[in-house]
Amino acid sequence: MPDTVKFAGLRKELRPLLLTTLLVVAISVVILGVVWTTGLTRGSVLYLVPVIIAATRWGIVSSLYAAAAGVLCSAFFFFPPLYSFRIRDPQEFINLILFVFVAILVSQLAARLKGQLEISRQREIDMRDLYAFSRRLAVAFDVPDIQAAIENHLTAAIQRRVVLFANARDAAAAASQRTGNTLPPHVLAQIAATDRPGSARDIGLTVASVTATNGDIWLVRPVSPKSPEFGVVAINLGQPSKDDIDDMRVRVDNVLADATATLERLGVAQAINEARMRSQTDELREALIGSVSHELRTPLASILGAATVLSSAPALAGEPKLQALVADVRTEAERLNDDIQNLIDATQISSNGVRPSLEWADPRDILDSAMERCRKRLADHKLVLNLPHDLPLIHVDPVLVKRALVQIFDNAGKYSPPGTAITIAARARDGHMIMSVSDEGAGLTAAEQPHIWDRFARGERMAAATSGSGLGLWIARSFIAANGGEMNAVSDGPGKGTTMAIDLPVAQAAVHSMESDSDE
Amino acid sequence: MSEPSPIVLIVDDEIQIRRFLRTGFELNGFVVHEAGTGAEAIRAATLRPIDIVIVDLGLPDMDGSEVVERIRSWSTVPIIVLSVRSTEAQKVRLLELGADDYVVKPFGIAELMARVRVALRRQLRAASGEPSVTVGPLTIDLAARAVTLNGQRLTLTPKEYRLLQVLAQHAGNVVTHQHLLKDVWGSIHMQDTHYLRIFVRKLRQKIEPTPDSPKILVTELGVGYRLAHASEAENGAPAPVTVS
Repeated sequence: MPDTVKFAGLRKELRPLLLTTLLVVAISVVILGVVWTTGLTRGSVLYLVPVIIAATRWGIVSSLYAAAAGVLCSAFFFFPPLYSFRIRDPQEFINLILFVFVAILVSQLAARLKGQLEISRQREIDMRDLYAFSRRLAVAFDVPDIQAAIENHLTAAIQRRVVLFANARDAAAAASQRTGNTLPPHVLAQIAATDRPGSARDIGLTVASVTATNGDIWLVRPVSPKSPEFGVVAINLGQPSKDDIDDMRVRVDNVLADATATLERLGVAQAINEARMRSQTDELREALIGSVSHELRTPLASILGAATVLSSAPALAGEPKLQALVADVRTEAERLNDDIQNLIDATQISSNGVRPSLEWADPRDILDSAMERCRKRLADHKLVLNLPHDLPLIHVDPVLVKRALVQIFDNAGKYSPPGTAITIAARARDGHMIMSVSDEGAGLTAAEQPHIWDRFARGERMAAATSGSGLGLWIARSFIAANGGEMNAVSDGPGKGTTMAIDLPVAQAAVHSMESDSDE
Repeated sequence: MSEPSPIVLIVDDEIQIRRFLRTGFELNGFVVHEAGTGAEAIRAATLRPIDIVIVDLGLPDMDGSEVVERIRSWSTVPIIVLSVRSTEAQKVRLLELGADDYVVKPFGIAELMARVRVALRRQLRAASGEPSVTVGPLTIDLAARAVTLNGQRLTLTPKEYRLLQVLAQHAGNVVTHQHLLKDVWGSIHMQDTHYLRIFVRKLRQKIEPTPDSPKILVTELGVGYRLAHASEAENGAPAPVTVS
């Protein structure tokens, strides 16, 4: 294989010489014909034609070759003594010098012209790329979009594999994640070094080439010496020669300089910083809510615990007024705890999402547990249960469903007057388990109905009479949605009560298949 | 009060929590020792006779679960864990590490005291070899392998009896799904909670006076089952704290 490759390469190099030879032969035939038919003797000037053609097309080697061939042919065919390479007339040497001079001059001119043409063509491609790049940047929405745009642009412009890292952390993450497609560890180490904050001062110097274990050479450098926001690029140069590396470096420098100019013109650095700041603010807010609610709960545990100890203290046994005060402390602390729990739940829903841990659960157990939890709050209401014995098992996170139910019970208790009935029903139908809670309370107006599931929704009609954060139903619905279910509310109108229903899917087959072997 | 006072070790880094627990326990006739760190707790548990340990999950020097594990490695003393927030999976893990029960903060002293009594009674029963457990109208005689409801003998399948037996051995405390499945059906069925659900439904028909609102075999959502505390089963509510 290598032999044929070498041969093909050789042939490619010899081709211009071959063509030049053919040209010289053709011109010789033409001149011979002209001389023969017309009797003109100075035809040898026509040998400048192959010299010029060779110079413009194939460069200086071919044109010098054409010049030499032309001189030899002139000497042989046209200068006396004919058919011999000897030249009697010294004037003919001037021809030789002329040929050589023209060959050098024309080929130089042609080469320069060609080079300029090449440059302007490359320039045109670059400008087109840059234009596409800035258009992409204009529609980039966030930092990863911008980085992808930069990466794609560099890949297109340099025609090599380009990987962009926003920072060293990214590089470390990539090292651990992209196992199949990872960069060599040396390269990642170099990226980390380039990105180190201390190196920002002399970031211009941190252009490095790294040789990976497979022999590929990687060029690692910051996108912009001035703006570290743009990140660090690693470019796979393959296995080029030393000269090629220098060429590539110059090319990379140019492309990066153009790209950086575009980025700066569009104010991308600021955009990146703002986007980062925004996401950090979000994270900070969530973390703050998380830790604040945690910090609030610890003292609350002391308050509640101390209140319960006080209420059982012998010294208070004969003091009903003090007992009532202690009971108030306890009730209020419990309410505060519920509010904090709602905040924590809401934070979790909006930051990480809810991850249910599914298991087979008896809907009856879930309802019992929720009712038990709300027993005190619903003590003034009449609970009516309408629960069949043969409810199917459901595959849910029972704790989440219970907490959704607690929110619904709470709501029913809050928005219906004491002494009225709250009906709790469950039924299985068409592969669905429906649990419903109906009260005889405030009901919903047509205007309220669509908004009860909103975050921080509070019924305005009842706002003065009841307390709450307005998170309850939103949390309940999020929990039910996490279990693949739906929630809906029906009311015949204001004052006519509300029915809240939870609709959960039932996986029928799995329940029945084990019935037979559940016991011997 | 002919019996000596039981001794409780309270492990929590929050001084306010320790203070109300101390008062609550002393009102209930306990002798109280305190520890603010895990290391202190382990030292205290090795140096003194302790009847029960109350340990907070969030300690400054080590996780509460590590305290449970370390104490459990040499002692069968009942341990009840306090935690601010914990998932059901964490609760299960604590129980598997050897905690007897858990209480989520914030809690009332009555709730904690009920769990403490259950754990102490169980310890006492284990020490004295008392063969029967009574929960409301239900009596499980572990020696005779007989179960009676209101004095009437029940006919149970071997698996039903086995389940009740495991729960009775931990009477009042939660037993995890995995523990029950492993003990009754064997370890290959440890993930099959639906076995347990259907099975418990049937068993409740036999042992509960009102199977539709179970008071004896109580579900702890996401964690396991519990054979109710004797007084709990009668009142349908956790036992109120009685001041001695």
